[in-house]
Amino acid sequence: MMGTELNKRWILTNSQQRDNGSQLLALTAFQDERIVAHWLLPDGQCRENAIAVTAGAFPSLTPVLPQVSWDEREIHDLFGYIPNGHPDLRPLVRTPRWPDAFYPLRSKFEQPIPWLDVEPDNGDQRVTGEGVTIMKVGPTHAGVIESGHFVFSIMGENILHLDLHLFQNHRGVEGHLEGRRLAEVAPLVSRICGADTVSHQVNWASAVEKLAGHTIDQPLAWRRVALLESERILSHLNDLAQIPAGVGFHVAHQQALAMKEKWQRGMHSLFGHRLLFDTVGPGTAAFFDPDALGRLIHDVRRDWQSWRALVLGHHGFQDRMLGVGIVRQADAARLGAQGVVARASGLSFDARSVMPLYQEWKVKPAGEVSGDVAARFKVRLEEVETSWRLLQDVIFEVAKMPLPSFWQPPEDLAGDAVAYTESPHGLNAHVVSLKNGQVVRYHVRSGTFRNWPLLTKAVTGNAVGDFPLINKSFELCYSCSDR
Amino acid sequence: MSRAMKSLQLRHLDAGSCNGCEQELTALTSRYYDLQQYGIDLVASPRHADALVVTGPVTDTMKKPLEKVWQAVPESKWLVALGDCAAGCGVFQEAYASHGGVAKPDLVIAGCPPRPQDILDKLNQFRLGQG
Repeated sequence: MMGTELNKRWILTNSQQRDNGSQLLALTAFQDERIVAHWLLPDGQCRENAIAVTAGAFPSLTPVLPQVSWDEREIHDLFGYIPNGHPDLRPLVRTPRWPDAFYPLRSKFEQPIPWLDVEPDNGDQRVTGEGVTIMKVGPTHAGVIESGHFVFSIMGENILHLDLHLFQNHRGVEGHLEGRRLAEVAPLVSRICGADTVSHQVNWASAVEKLAGHTIDQPLAWRRVALLESERILSHLNDLAQIPAGVGFHVAHQQALAMKEKWQRGMHSLFGHRLLFDTVGPGTAAFFDPDALGRLIHDVRRDWQSWRALVLGHHGFQDRMLGVGIVRQADAARLGAQGVVARASGLSFDARSVMPLYQEWKVKPAGEVSGDVAARFKVRLEEVETSWRLLQDVIFEVAKMPLPSFWQPPEDLAGDAVAYTESPHGLNAHVVSLKNGQVVRYHVRSGTFRNWPLLTKAVTGNAVGDFPLINKSFELCYSCSDR
Repeated sequence: MSRAMKSLQLRHLDAGSCNGCEQELTALTSRYYDLQQYGIDLVASPRHADALVVTGPVTDTMKKPLEKVWQAVPESKWLVALGDCAAGCGVFQEAYASHGGVAKPDLVIAGCPPRPQDILDKLNQFRLGQG
């Protein structure tokens, strides 16, 4: 009876949290048979709910909170805990090559792992019936893209259903982080994803600082804002270059690629790395010359103005984006869309509006409502300009500030913490558990993980020839979600 | 066989990269580098390729697809490890689902990720039989 009451409360509390307008940061399983849901409240506070895993199972939240469907499937694959009542427990990360009872995050296992000598393909979900064709794409692709496998059910030109088979890039990052000492973590976290690296690094640094009860000073906070916004510009320039490529608009593609290259060269000379790896750690952030950043912005913005006029004034390009790949607001809300995808579909959440790092600015989320490729393109345009304005504020202030004070975390740091940032791909959360200065559990929940299921909604009913365009308008990194 | 070639056609395969190497490889197609002027290009099919460029530490799920794509590249063929992960010296070599990079690459382009100019220089030297 007790158990049933607890189960009911778990479901009720979490669905109420969602109804209050809170954002789910992460649903995390632990080796000591606990599941914890971390929520970000509208006022910026974090709240956690926990439930014990009983007899290897816990009540599934998916029926009332569909956005956690993948989280629970992942927990099932990596821990073997069963989410009771989950409507679709097909493997997500696990492949037929995994040995029986191999639950990589639940317990220690023999090394090397005795992978079974079979194909890694899981069964797929198809539409059947007269006139339906199955088109399989991947896992390897014709261009320079990350690996992922897509199974399209199509009729004529129209996509009836897309079944995603991702996690080809599952390296075992979370398991690899376990047992690391504090000093070993930052280089690994920095390489979870090449497109959201600063966001991941800031999360790790904030989690450690939170556990140590250390408040960072203004000079350090502003340097981190400079890095986060520089990364947003870098990532958005990349995505803005790829969208025109999706419709063969090569002038716009090449010009945006050139802006990105100019920005990356600037990042290298300012912060020491073209993609901003290894720039943030507990108590630190890369030193940079504010005047040089100002000159870089001035230079790239000149290119930006003419490029912006080119893409906005090209009616053919605009027409190709309108009404294509629509994500409905109801789907976005139900499946927990994040970042650009959410803000292009009328959900006006941007974690920067509640992040303590950004308290000086009160960043207003970009907002479009049409939910199509055009909306996602416009949101990125607007966000690049916001980032430039933020950076100019930072440059002005940082130039007057002293150097950040020196701080190092205690070597025997312990405890549980959750940290989050608004990455270029949306809300990015890390759940960190430390014991005696060592990682016991490290869970990463990126914005892309939430957005992948929405891609399947966006493409349904569209022409299969528009898939590259729609896909590029999401531009989801696989590495962040596969880990 | 001598490796000096007029052109070098590459097929890329991601085997668990963080997408850093992909971004830098893509940069070679921009006007700053313009890899085609050296007779180097990225092709869509392994059947058209002289060399397979692999990124990432070779995740278990990509191990078989990698073998298949490699078999589809016609002889003579070369294997290029792009970046520290594929080269076997990245940070995720020992992760449980990683196989620690590619076996016996003909060309290693180290770096995390390597800079586009380094990638281009190494590929071009390799094309000229100097690598």
